[in-house]
Amino acid sequence: MLGKVGDFEKVARCGSMATKKLRRAGLSQELCDRLSRHQITTCRDFLCLSLLELMKVTGQSYWNVQKLLCKVSLACAPKMQTAYEMKTKRAINPSSAYLSTTLDGLDKALHGGVACASLTEVTGPSGCGKTQFCLMMSVLATLPISMGGLDGAVIYIDTESAFGAERLVEIAEHRFPNYFGTEEKLFSMTRSIHLYRELTCDSVLKRIETLEEEIISKKVKLLIIDSIASVVRKEFDTKLQGNLMERSNFLAREASLLKYLAEEFSIPVILTNQITTRLSNGLDIQADLVSPADDMSLSEVSGASGSKDREPGYVTAALGNTWSHSVNTRLILQYHDLHTRQVLVAKSPVAPFSAFFYTIENSGLVLQDGKDHPDASWEGSSPVLQAIRVRTNILKDGFPSSTAETLKLTQPI
Amino acid sequence: MQRDVGSFPLAPGLRAKLIGAGFQTAQELLEIGPCELSKEIGISKEEALETLQIVRRECHSNATKTAGEPEAVGKCTALELLEQEQAQGFIITFCSALDDILGGGVQLTKITEICGAPGVGKTQLCMQLAVDVQIPECFGGLAGEAVFIDTEGSFMVDRVVDIATACVQHCQLIAETHQEEDFQKSLETFSLDSILSHIYYFRCHDYTEVLAQVYLLPDFLSEHSKVRLVIVDGIAFPFRHDFEDLSLRTRLLNGLAQQLISIANAHKLAVVLTNQMTTRIGQSQSMLVPALGESWGHAATIRLIFHWDNKQRLATLYKSPSQKESTIPFHITPHGFRDVHPPPPSQTPAEVEINPRKRPRIEGDKQQ
Repeated sequence: MLGKVGDFEKVARCGSMATKKLRRAGLSQELCDRLSRHQITTCRDFLCLSLLELMKVTGQSYWNVQKLLCKVSLACAPKMQTAYEMKTKRAINPSSAYLSTTLDGLDKALHGGVACASLTEVTGPSGCGKTQFCLMMSVLATLPISMGGLDGAVIYIDTESAFGAERLVEIAEHRFPNYFGTEEKLFSMTRSIHLYRELTCDSVLKRIETLEEEIISKKVKLLIIDSIASVVRKEFDTKLQGNLMERSNFLAREASLLKYLAEEFSIPVILTNQITTRLSNGLDIQADLVSPADDMSLSEVSGASGSKDREPGYVTAALGNTWSHSVNTRLILQYHDLHTRQVLVAKSPVAPFSAFFYTIENSGLVLQDGKDHPDASWEGSSPVLQAIRVRTNILKDGFPSSTAETLKLTQPI
Repeated sequence: MQRDVGSFPLAPGLRAKLIGAGFQTAQELLEIGPCELSKEIGISKEEALETLQIVRRECHSNATKTAGEPEAVGKCTALELLEQEQAQGFIITFCSALDDILGGGVQLTKITEICGAPGVGKTQLCMQLAVDVQIPECFGGLAGEAVFIDTEGSFMVDRVVDIATACVQHCQLIAETHQEEDFQKSLETFSLDSILSHIYYFRCHDYTEVLAQVYLLPDFLSEHSKVRLVIVDGIAFPFRHDFEDLSLRTRLLNGLAQQLISIANAHKLAVVLTNQMTTRIGQSQSMLVPALGESWGHAATIRLIFHWDNKQRLATLYKSPSQKESTIPFHITPHGFRDVHPPPPSQTPAEVEINPRKRPRIEGDKQQ
């Protein structure tokens, strides 16, 4: 099992003023030496002590300690901005506010597109289009600002080996045939997409920590992690005692690092998640969809055709409640019928619940708006519990009907 | 005068020397001069002077507070408190059902905690309150300013613009129906830009920055004396990872809570905190409970829990010293935080008298 929480402590914290050494906070050398004898070297150590403890270790009076506290706090407190200043900054530079997805309905709902400086999660059953969405966004980010892009590089962390360079080029050529008419443009686009393959939780975390420098040197404007869920679910089994807490800790740590990167550089961060089956008593079964047989068993559990007497479970986003707090926006991709899928805006600080139909074509995702598929004014509910439609009996003809094999998978573990 | 020397807030080394030299009570120190003291216990004259000043200050003043806090937190009778409470304003939420169960709105000098599942509307309410606290007095508001401490990065300026615009329009409608001078005048200063300029935003990335910011808050509030609302959105996020030592976490959280309570009282403002929900695994089922543990439950005076019932958002008043526990539904609209159904046409005259600052709600005002 993964190491203790303490292991994460050892790795360098990026971006926080907390580890600022007291010397640079303006304390005298003498005082710093005295404090370091008590193992107090950073602002964080200083601020975690009570007033009495501080008086003891510094040897100063109550009033002086108050003054020292002010000094150290000033060294690590954040800078103040008014909301007005923030609005003006966005107005001056809209490309620092969002990255358009070129899916008009979705952009409009999200007030422009995938928001910069925030975490956007895309979740859904396998094969629904999450990786396709990520590939599409990668192409879009490299486009010049005049075409709605961010004119920058992309960092793509791939944990499932799902990234396909040929598909990337196909999307680019079909979506923007005029722009990518020359080989030159295609090469320059592919050169700006940096792919990292990471296969364990630890390596993903370490990779994220090194990203600060990469983002600066490579002029990165979009960060994609596809997917967060797969490594976490391989290594943490939440049925074992203590693992739920460790997993939450790990995810919260990851989220906080990613948020720091997103805000510091004002770039969008796109994460993909998987799905899980939630039983009616609130417990989750891990659902790592690998084969279509899994699809079928899940759809049975989720009560696709309601012939059940017992209360079935239902499929929803994985990684639990705490993770749902950490992401700012949640987009759910789900199946609608044989060819059409739906994208739901399930959690957003600026958008109401909305639903759009799309299909996957050569050029990536394409929204369907027309009479057959009116945009749903969809009544959503809690983003944590929102039920997701999986691929139902589409492949039934090619597979034997529910055998003992598939039934076994529906038993609570 | 008979106060023991060891109880003064002096440096520990100094205290030890004083006690070693035989000083026992404050009276003895008040009789001696700095030069004599310095010779007797072997410290510099400056240190001796400082020591004597500290002792004198402690002995002579009743309100021994640091500079920046306006008045002594002393004693008063219940009658004085009653008068204060009745004259006190509330911060309305624009959802009359929620205002009702809170007894008028978010109370000043108290800590209100909002717990809820992800995506249910905690940050939306915080943004709404940051706008509502600025409503001019003639419309029933507090004409105050707001401090927004953000630890999760969920503050969206675009959304605040939407909410503020809707609020200004709402007040404009009222001004039109009333046609009084002071209404028009206040509207001139109550505009979108002015609302945005009076929301002071701090983005804290971890708990150290939160601690630092709260230490610096009293100084900030002295410079910005019109602040009537401090929001920390959310208090849980930075404290839920990075802690192996849970007792340290409890201590830090309690310290924070105490500082916030004293700030709320000293500066007569409301403190609003948002908390997350966490999964507690029971015997055969799991349930959602507010995060940060049982001991944190004591920190807030008033606790609201937001949750879902299928597709409806609900707010439950979970803990309050003066109001009954109850649950109401609410909506998040493009204009902000609102009721599910428009409120009843008019309030009884008696209610209006009790709190003259409450603006009577007029039929047809509420936008849904």
